[in-house]
Amino acid sequence: MSPFAWMRLAALNTLRNRRRSLVTVCIAALGTAALLLAGGFALYTYQSLEQAAARDSGHLVLGTPAQFEGEEDVPLQHGLDGVAELRRRLLADPDVRHVLPRVAFNGLVSNGEKSTVMMAVGIEPDSEFAIKGPFLGVSAGQVLTNADQGAVMLGAGLARNLKAGPGSGLTLLSATTQGVLNAMDVQVKGVFSTGIPEMDQRLVLTDVATAQKLLDTQRVSTLGVFLRGMEATAPAQARLQAAHPRLQVQTWLERAVFYRSVRALYNRIFGVMGLVIGVIVVFVVASAMAMAVVERTREIGTLRALGTLPRQLLRTLALEGLLLGGTGAVAGALLALAVSVALLVFPVQMPPPPGRSEGYPLQIAIEPTLYLGVLVLMLKLSTLAAALVARRTVRKPIVEALAHV
Amino acid sequence: MSPLPPRPPGASPAPPTAPVMSLRGIQKTYRLGQHVVPALRGVDLDVLAGEMLALVGPSGSGKSTLLNLCGLIDRPDAGRIELRGTAVHDLDETRATLLRRDALGFVFQGFNLVPVMTAAENVDFPLFLAGVPAAQRRQRVAEVLAQVGLAEHAAHRPDALSGGQRQRVAIARALVKRPALVIADEPTASLDSHSADNVLALMRALCHAQGAAFVIATHDDRLTRRCDRVVRLLDGRIEPEAGGALEVHQVQNPQRSAA
Repeated sequence: MSPFAWMRLAALNTLRNRRRSLVTVCIAALGTAALLLAGGFALYTYQSLEQAAARDSGHLVLGTPAQFEGEEDVPLQHGLDGVAELRRRLLADPDVRHVLPRVAFNGLVSNGEKSTVMMAVGIEPDSEFAIKGPFLGVSAGQVLTNADQGAVMLGAGLARNLKAGPGSGLTLLSATTQGVLNAMDVQVKGVFSTGIPEMDQRLVLTDVATAQKLLDTQRVSTLGVFLRGMEATAPAQARLQAAHPRLQVQTWLERAVFYRSVRALYNRIFGVMGLVIGVIVVFVVASAMAMAVVERTREIGTLRALGTLPRQLLRTLALEGLLLGGTGAVAGALLALAVSVALLVFPVQMPPPPGRSEGYPLQIAIEPTLYLGVLVLMLKLSTLAAALVARRTVRKPIVEALAHV
Repeated sequence: MSPLPPRPPGASPAPPTAPVMSLRGIQKTYRLGQHVVPALRGVDLDVLAGEMLALVGPSGSGKSTLLNLCGLIDRPDAGRIELRGTAVHDLDETRATLLRRDALGFVFQGFNLVPVMTAAENVDFPLFLAGVPAAQRRQRVAEVLAQVGLAEHAAHRPDALSGGQRQRVAIARALVKRPALVIADEPTASLDSHSADNVLALMRALCHAQGAAFVIATHDDRLTRRCDRVVRLLDGRIEPEAGGALEVHQVQNPQRSAA
């Protein structure tokens, strides 16, 4: 028997009560659209955070095992030596595009009248800004360059605290690698915001040479390794780890605590939301099909008397559920697609999330695998719901079904 | 037609016309809460090929139950049913369904056509179920619709047809696969007298033309007058005639005799 004929019968049956079918399709469409929009938003957020995390630290971070495992007694106690040779060897890997040194240290920063705690990072400014792009929101002054010796950029909160701005003179104080207190006068080149107020209250950026001079060392804390793409992370990690067995190579994911927290939170939120939407769709399709099946009990009895097997009837009724759910799913996917594209054309700014000082653009990822997965899920749920409610009626004794009023 | 008493063991030769369906010692009870209601209390009946047999009797006499058993949509509690010599009273659901599909036709009081299908699609459905190739189906459906006088209404849905036309579609659906036996439950009850006459004439003509036996439960005297045999049921038993014969009142049907 032709499957097309059963499908046609199912399609005709869905048109019997058009209003009920329309309501079912609309709810399935809204459910699908909600799943796709929520999933697309979560995916966009994940992708943005992944890229931000990889851009911040590098796809891979190379350091000594002790650097990642324990606290230092003195600055750069577990730092890397022989950085130039190490960078040369790392850059020989085909997937490695850039290697950026980083010197992280703590201390005090003072304007002569007031001192406060700082978290300082020594970077190679030209490479850092060239590779990462405009990753800082510069609110005053300019970004550092390699030519700027003894210059710093301050987080906005810290600058406000010290009443400092571009051109201001400050003093950095820190212990050297020998544990001796050292001080250095620097000039403020610019003021920036990371978008995280707590970071902006403490963060100082300077160049590697200035940091090493203050700490009295040639070491760096870590080397950030930037690859040709995110997908190269795992294989490159394996290769570099094998090539440098005495060092430890961590991926951006291992260091991205914020990303992992957000992902875990969103997975739960959107997981529960998806579950609720799925249950709603199942109930709506099941309810519509239950009404349709009850109304057609006598007809089902007739078809059985004529020689239709229960499984053939069950298949036809399940196909009705599939058609209702499928039509709704396709309509919902088109709706989600339209909203996602509309947000690209007409950007909407989201308010800053908790712990952040800057908003972000609301965008929805258009991910084919997500669309495919949600469509398949909706088809399965609606087919299953229809089959479940029809199961009893198609097995009802024919005499009873024919006597149904 | 002659009366058909229960066949004793080792008895008599087969009747001149072989029964298409044979029922022996059929009993059926229904349970209504605490009460057990006997619907059939040992019914014996042979339905001969090509005959129109009317089941008559008051409400609750067991007509519908007997009809359901003949149509293999219910099972007896006791007794034996044979269709063309094969025992069918204890078939499992799938085999009974396939047998209904292949060998039986049904005509219902309320027509019971599928409203989303056209007349032709309704008639085609049993052939479709049986897996008959599309070309053969088209030809046979056109032939049967022409026989019932609805060739021009093939593309009409049931709601666009009159009651008489719908019942003719139902008859065409019942006969399209050339069944051995057609079960008809009050086929004229929902029709006006003119439509009922037309439907009766049609059933009669097709019965003879195709050689299918009809078992018809009815209260309609016009219908019983056109049947070859009338079996009267009372309290779950076939009622003996006043003269002492066991079960059957034979109608001298002028059309049948003439044929």
